[in-house]
Amino acid sequence: MTRAPILGRFRHGYVAPAALLVAGLLYAPFVWTAYLSLTRYDGLAPPEWAGLANFAKLFDDPVLLSSAGNTLIWVVGTMALPVGLGLLVAVLSYDIRGGAWYRVPFMLPYALSGAGLAMVWSPVLSHGGVANLLLGVDTAFLQKAPHNTIAMLLVWTWQQLGVNTLLFVVGLQSIPKGPIEAARLDGASGWRLFRHVIWPLMRPLTAVVVGLALVASLKTFDIVWVLTQGGPGRNSETLAVTMYKETFVAGDYGYGSTVAVALTVVAGLASYLYLKRQVR
Amino acid sequence: MIRRAVLVVLGLIWLGPTYLLIVNASRPAESYDPARAWAPPGDFALLDNFARALEGADLGPSLASTALYSVVSPALGVLIGALAGYTIVVLRLRHGFWWFLLLFGGTVFPSQMLLVPLFVGYSDAGLYDSRLGMILIYTAINVPLAAFVLRNFYSGVAFSIFEAARMDGASTWRVFWRIYLPLATSALAAVFILEFTFIWNDLIFGLTLTQTAEVRPVMTALAGLMTDVYAGTPVPVGLAAGLVVSLPTVVLFLATQRLFARGLSLGSV
Repeated sequence: MTRAPILGRFRHGYVAPAALLVAGLLYAPFVWTAYLSLTRYDGLAPPEWAGLANFAKLFDDPVLLSSAGNTLIWVVGTMALPVGLGLLVAVLSYDIRGGAWYRVPFMLPYALSGAGLAMVWSPVLSHGGVANLLLGVDTAFLQKAPHNTIAMLLVWTWQQLGVNTLLFVVGLQSIPKGPIEAARLDGASGWRLFRHVIWPLMRPLTAVVVGLALVASLKTFDIVWVLTQGGPGRNSETLAVTMYKETFVAGDYGYGSTVAVALTVVAGLASYLYLKRQVR
Repeated sequence: MIRRAVLVVLGLIWLGPTYLLIVNASRPAESYDPARAWAPPGDFALLDNFARALEGADLGPSLASTALYSVVSPALGVLIGALAGYTIVVLRLRHGFWWFLLLFGGTVFPSQMLLVPLFVGYSDAGLYDSRLGMILIYTAINVPLAAFVLRNFYSGVAFSIFEAARMDGASTWRVFWRIYLPLATSALAAVFILEFTFIWNDLIFGLTLTQTAEVRPVMTALAGLMTDVYAGTPVPVGLAAGLVVSLPTVVLFLATQRLFARGLSLGSV
């Protein structure tokens, strides 16, 4: 009876801007895309109901197969290189004197982003570019699949390693010293110390880093778009690039939406399975 | 010893491209030669190169737009999110947790799920290729994180502060504006920086929702420079553009590092 006045009467008015923005610009488009994935739609004439036709197409579209393959390379490669190598650098450097200085070279590239990154690497990787001259070979690294995806993955590693290392270092420095000292006294060192003591202790952090990298790598778009636009032809497309091209280059809004839904389902499923394993 | 050796070797590999970038971005535009890319530049021409990129590729208006988006949208987003957090926690909005879930749920959608309806909807509403349209979508994307962090933050603030202010006759809005908002400065700043960086680096919304140089954000414009003109743009000009355009996020991050760390740890309590 006295509570209501003190809390004010205008409460819904205060959440309204947030709710309207989120509902109107995030939820509504989401639902609309899900609907469009079941239609034939060119962006001009009204969408026409097509049932599961787009999803059927999804399964025998050679382009989609190749971009799913490339996306898989991105996911596996991201785990192995920016994340795996990042962990290695973190473990090697976290407890030596001057460790932070050894990490500086890895942090510098993180300053560049998206298009800036491509600006740097395009002249290096192009035909007759610096990489050709340096390695004494005559390959256009961004031409043939799967070389081009792997080349871009290496560029990505160059940029992302530092931030992963940093996260792992924070994790390593925050694990309790007690168990490590105890294990050292018991004679554990090197690999065994890492494998049986340090690794289990840093698992919560690893779970977060790997989880974020997993979802992000499934949605790889920017670097591919700026370096190859998914080409030549369509051989370096990822699922996110295919979605963009089907929609805004080919003008097939219905099928583009279907690819977006497929990407969302895959990302959702991957996070679900991953989280389930982690929680267990 | 082996550890240091491995680190040094890897570090040198990593420094190679960084060196190439800096040296060649500073090289006078016409003297670039892939075979001599490793040689130090004769003259320092970084600023000339960047000036050329600004003019030649019309990066000036894009930079101005991006600066506008990455300041206005996070500011609005943080304000709106904070107000929602305040209402849910402090004003004890009924079904507050569900409101919170609704807002936070906005983070799970991949941007690919938003592009088609935004493009079509913006075209119909006259928001396509407009600064207002860009500010709207960037603001909306910021709201969930802001609401999340600020809700957590306000959960840790004693309710008696609110009660005392209300007893003194302040309106709920005034309590928010004069007490709860200033109280959360470090949390607000942390979210602001994250969102500033996100918007500054955004490529896909700019690609989908804009067309003209005045409205187009700088990363999208730069990507255009890459694909259309890089053949005709001297490499040092492209490199200088990539380098200088990346600077604001780095400067902001370095300048606010401590505030940032503090804000995030407060938010995660």
